[in-house]
Amino acid sequence: MPGGGRCPDCGSTELVEDSHYSQNQLVCSDCGCVVTEGVLTTTFTDEGNLREVTYSRSTGKNEQVSRSQQRGLCRVRDLCRVLQLPPTFEDTAVAYYQQAYQHSGIRAARLQKKEVLVGCCVLITCRQRNWPLTMGTICTLLYADLDVFSGTYLQMVKVLGLDVPSLCLVDLVKTYCSSFKLFEASPSVPAKYVEDKEKMLSRTLQLVELADETWLVTGRHPLPVITAATFLAWQSLRPSDRLTCSLARFCKLASVDLPYPASSRLQELLAVLLRLAGQLAWLQVLKLDKRSVVAHVGDLLQHRHMLVRKALRDGTAEPDALDAREKGLQGPGQGQGWGKEDRGDGSVDLPAGKRPASPTLLLPPCMLKPPKRICPTPPVCTVTGDEDISDSEIEQYLRSPQEVRDFQRAQAARQAATSVPNPP
Amino acid sequence: MLFLHFKIYFPDDLAPPRSPLLSPIVPYDVYIPNSSNPETMFNSQLEEVTETSGNFSSVDLSFLPDELTQENKEQTVIRSKHETEENCKTKSWQSRLPLPSQQDVDLALNSSGGSNSHPHLHPGDADSAQPSPEKPHSLPLASITPMTPVTPVSGCSGIVPQLQNIVSTVNLACKLDLKKIALHAKNAEYNPKRFAAVIMRIREPRTTALIFSSGKMVCTGARSEEQSRLAARKYARVVQKLGFPARFLDFKIQNMVGSCDVRFPIRLEGLVLSHQQFSSYEPELFPGLIYRMVKPRIVLLIFVSGKVVLTGAKERSEIYEAFENIYPILKGFKKT
Repeated sequence: MPGGGRCPDCGSTELVEDSHYSQNQLVCSDCGCVVTEGVLTTTFTDEGNLREVTYSRSTGKNEQVSRSQQRGLCRVRDLCRVLQLPPTFEDTAVAYYQQAYQHSGIRAARLQKKEVLVGCCVLITCRQRNWPLTMGTICTLLYADLDVFSGTYLQMVKVLGLDVPSLCLVDLVKTYCSSFKLFEASPSVPAKYVEDKEKMLSRTLQLVELADETWLVTGRHPLPVITAATFLAWQSLRPSDRLTCSLARFCKLASVDLPYPASSRLQELLAVLLRLAGQLAWLQVLKLDKRSVVAHVGDLLQHRHMLVRKALRDGTAEPDALDAREKGLQGPGQGQGWGKEDRGDGSVDLPAGKRPASPTLLLPPCMLKPPKRICPTPPVCTVTGDEDISDSEIEQYLRSPQEVRDFQRAQAARQAATSVPNPP
Repeated sequence: MLFLHFKIYFPDDLAPPRSPLLSPIVPYDVYIPNSSNPETMFNSQLEEVTETSGNFSSVDLSFLPDELTQENKEQTVIRSKHETEENCKTKSWQSRLPLPSQQDVDLALNSSGGSNSHPHLHPGDADSAQPSPEKPHSLPLASITPMTPVTPVSGCSGIVPQLQNIVSTVNLACKLDLKKIALHAKNAEYNPKRFAAVIMRIREPRTTALIFSSGKMVCTGARSEEQSRLAARKYARVVQKLGFPARFLDFKIQNMVGSCDVRFPIRLEGLVLSHQQFSSYEPELFPGLIYRMVKPRIVLLIFVSGKVVLTGAKERSEIYEAFENIYPILKGFKKT
C-alpha cells in the first residue's frame, strides 16, 4: 500500500484506507487494527501514516478544486468502493461529477442535492457499462429520498445531455437471484427448501422473459417482478414441498426484503400462466387453478415461445369481437336491463363457455381492469369568453357585512384560544 | 350584433396606442352598446387595421362572415380610406360614419384594379367621394382569431385529444390587500405562512385562481380557452366588487394540457430505443415514457395502456399537431 506504513500490531504492510462512518481511517487488512483514525489526535507513530502532505510536496491540484467538490469526489470514490465496482468505473464516475459540477445550477445546489448527485454519477456509470444497479439500492446507501434522487438524476441527464441506457433485466436477475440465501442448508433453511442455483437462475430468467412478453414488466418497477418470478421458479422446482410456503416467508428465509408490489405481480404472473395452460391440450383437461398450475410451470416454460405467439395471434382477432360484443351489450342493455340477458337477445352473443370467459392476455393489466369511473363525455361548451357577468353571480361569493363581523369575531376567538397558555 | 372588443377611443384621444389585433384588452364590463358607440367601435377597428398594414390585400379578413363578399371588402377599404382622411383633418370621431355611394365603389374598384398597393391612399378618389352620413350597416363581426376551430382536424388518426386544463395569467394592475380579500370573499383562502397568495375558487366555470398582492393572477382548471378567459374575468369582477380598481390586462394562456387514448398497448422499451434523443423512460421512477417533441415544443407522457397526455402548449393547434406527429410513431409499436 502506498505510504510505506506498517501495522503496529502485526507488522503487515497491507494498509487500506477505509472511509467508515464519515471518518477516514487507515486499517490493516490482515489483523483489522485501526492504524489512524481521523486527524483529531496523533501520536508520533501516527505522523508517519498521516495522509496530509506538506505544502512543499503538494502538487497544487487540489487548490483549484473547491472543498465541497473535493468532498463530493471523495464520496464518489467511496461509493464505488462500497459497491465493489471495477476500478475503471471510479474514474468515469469522478469525471461525470466534475462535469456536472461545472454547471452553475448544480454548483449552487444544496448539500443534500450534491450528496444525491454522487449517487447519480455512480448510477449513470453503471448503467452505461451494463452493471445492474437499481436506484433503490443507491437511495438506501445514501439515505436519500427517491423523489430528491429522481429530480437530481433527471436534471443531470438533461443538463449533461447524456444517453443513459435502460436497466439490463438479465443482469439484474442474475445479481438479484444470487443474493437469495437458499443455495445451502442452514439452521433457518430446511433441506427441502434448498435449491440449486443454476436451475433456479435459468427458470427465473425464463419466467421474467415471459412476463416481459406478456406486458407485465413495461411501466413497472423491475424488482418486484423478479422477486415474484424467483419465488415461482423456486416453488415450481419442488411443488409438493414448497406450495405451503408463502411469498413473505420465502423472502424471510432467503433474507431478502420483500418489495410491496411483488404479491400482485405474482398473481398476474400466475394468471398469465393459467391462460397459457388453457392452450395446451393435456393441461386443459386438468382444470388448473392458481395453485395447481405451479406444478406445470416447467411444461409451460418449455413451450412458452409457441404459446405466447399463439396467444398474440389469437389476441389480434379478439379485440374487434370484444368491442362488438360490448356494443351489443350496451345497446339493448340500457333499455331492457341486465336481467333479461338469459332470454337470448338477438343482437347480444354472450360467450356461453365457447371461448375463454376472460379477455385476451395480450393487454397490460391496467387495460384489463375495469375503469374506476366512467369518463363522462365532455359537454359541448358554447362559451365565448366575453359573456356578461351578472352581479348576482359575483355577489354570491362575497360576505355580507354581518357575516364579515361574525367571521372576524370567530377569528379573534380562535386567536385568543390558541394563545392562552395551558393552565398550571 | 357582435362587436370586437378593442380599446374604446375617447374623443380627445386621436392617437390611440398601437395595439396588436390579436389581444383584446378592453376593460371587461365597460362596453355599453348604444347607438353612438357602434360607430366608434367600427371606426377604431378599421383605424387599427389601416395602421397595422398598409396594403389591405394582405390583411387577413377571414374573420368576416360569408355575407361580406368582394364588394363589401371594397366598401371597408373605402371606409378606412375616408377615416384616414378624416383623421388628418382632425374631425370629431362621432360625427358620422361616411358610407360611399355606388359611384365611389366603382371608383375604388377601378383604382384598386389599376394598382396593387395602397388603393386607399389615392387622394383623387377621396375628393370625389361624397361621404353620406347614413347609419352604418351592421356588420356582424366575429372574433378576429377564431378561438376554437369549427371542426378540429383529426388527420389520419381519427382521435382528437381533449383539453383537460388551461393555465392562464392576467394582470389586474393594482396593488391588492390580500387580508381584506380573504375577509370579504367567501370563496377565498389565505395562509400567508404557507403561500403568499389568496386561493380563490368559483363554481362556474369550475376553476381556481391564485391572486397575488402585486395584482397578478393565475387562473387554472378551465377546460377551454374561452372558459379560462370567462373565469379570469369573473375573478377580476370579484376583486373589483371588493373595492379595488381592478383592470384586465395582458390575459395570456400559459399552458394547455390535453389527453387522449390510442386504444392499443405500447411497447415503451422499444420506443425509448428508437427515439432515444427525445424519450426518457425510467420505470423505477415513473411508469410513463416522457417524450419531448421538438416541433411543436410539447411534452408527451405516453403510458403502456395507450393513454397519452400532452402538455406545454400555448395554442390548441400545438396539441393537435403533436398528437398527429406521435400517432404514426406509436402505431409502429402496436404489434409486439
